[in-house]
Amino acid sequence: MASSDKKPLPTPASTGGDGGPPGKPTIMSTMMLDKGAAALQSLRPVKQINQHVCTFALYAHDPQRQVETHHFVSRLTQDVLQCPVYDSDDKNARLIGVEYIVSRKIFEALPKEEQRLWHSHAHEIKAGLWASPRVPETLEKTELADHMAGTFGKFWCTWQVDRGDRLPLGAPALMVSPQAERIATVLPDLVRKRDHKYSFSTEELKAARADVEVPADPRPGQADYWVRHHKGFAVDVVPHEMKRHARFP
Amino acid sequence: MAASCHDVDPVPGKPTETGTSLLETATGAIQGFAPVNQIHQHLCAFHFFGDDMTRQVEAHHFCAHLNEDVRQCLIFDGPDAGARLIGVEYIVSEELFLTLPDDEKPLWHTHEFEVKGGVLFMPGVPGVVERRDLETVAKTYGKTIHFWQVDRGDALPLGLPQIMMALTREGQLRQDLAECVEKKFGVSFQKERENRAYMTGPAHGIHPLANAAGKGLKTSIREVDLPDPTTRARVFT
Repeated sequence: MASSDKKPLPTPASTGGDGGPPGKPTIMSTMMLDKGAAALQSLRPVKQINQHVCTFALYAHDPQRQVETHHFVSRLTQDVLQCPVYDSDDKNARLIGVEYIVSRKIFEALPKEEQRLWHSHAHEIKAGLWASPRVPETLEKTELADHMAGTFGKFWCTWQVDRGDRLPLGAPALMVSPQAERIATVLPDLVRKRDHKYSFSTEELKAARADVEVPADPRPGQADYWVRHHKGFAVDVVPHEMKRHARFP
Repeated sequence: MAASCHDVDPVPGKPTETGTSLLETATGAIQGFAPVNQIHQHLCAFHFFGDDMTRQVEAHHFCAHLNEDVRQCLIFDGPDAGARLIGVEYIVSEELFLTLPDDEKPLWHTHEFEVKGGVLFMPGVPGVVERRDLETVAKTYGKTIHFWQVDRGDALPLGLPQIMMALTREGQLRQDLAECVEKKFGVSFQKERENRAYMTGPAHGIHPLANAAGKGLKTSIREVDLPDPTTRARVFT
């Protein structure tokens, strides 16, 4: 019925790329209702989001398709983070997926099958690809070196904007992280575009992080399975009997 | 706030260290958060698994409008600071739903019943105000994907993403879950049902392909061969 590695049929929702999603501009009464609701509701889980990271991700079924990602991070414990991911950092940004980040200790305790879905972060941090806009490098260097460089992520993409989808179509896709191997390198144009937008230099970030230690075993267990085995992952959504205790639909 | 209506293991890990906490207080103050600042609305509803109606989840949606016809929502398992981000939902108008390819439509569900049934509500918002937006929501279609199966107690977001469905008729919502939520938020689904009797669903009726085309959906994963990196250098911009 739907697969993360199959392009959707051409319809107004699947073609026409980047004028934003179809639909009418938000009308005033909707905006007023929204503002009214927001004044009455605490929105606490969202208020926990306190970090913005800009980096790059690759599709696990086709790693040469790559996207610049904007992670808005909130912390659950010292070892677990959760991030809605958007395709930009402006107010019209599209929600393209969710990434979870865990410490090495938590990752190593995961079952083998589960580990295959997770990727390491050490390379993209050392390469300067992972960046925190507006944060002075000196401020975050210790945290990156001591904690983030040793973490592992699991990232599901729910909207494949880079192939022109105007609405979120198809099955969710697994994403993976940039790695040193050629098959996992981020296209220079994407990096240049990002650097230009933020007026910073990925090369300079890389130099500044030269002394960030990569763990002795950067790929424990089944981490980065795809790179080591040269195999991607595609997700399928298929019709299936629904266990039910009442009539449906 | 009261505990979760699900029996879920606590999130593993040490309490946040001081250095980490200080850095995050700083980044929280310095950086920009425009996309999440668009989130203006909190809706509570129920989802169940596309292949198992008996597994149901209390779902707290935090939604933003991309435009009048499209919303995008983060789904948490509760309304409090420690809530887990368990999924996402996209909500579109009927007009946009009808433009989706036929093999996409089954992944989307209707909202008519859960709105009119009184089980979808906006915590903290008086009925009179809430109903003005819910009149619109009743006509929309949603696509919900969950990543963290809290109803089976998972301490972490394990496994594959799940396409979720929404309630479409009486008798589907588990009584124990309904009562837990009504009690926690001090609401009465029955009372709201009466207040919302005047609302109408999609103008063209519930599309037969929506709601998993009346059957069910399951996700699976497969390994694929990767293209040789030497053969191309496509750039999608």
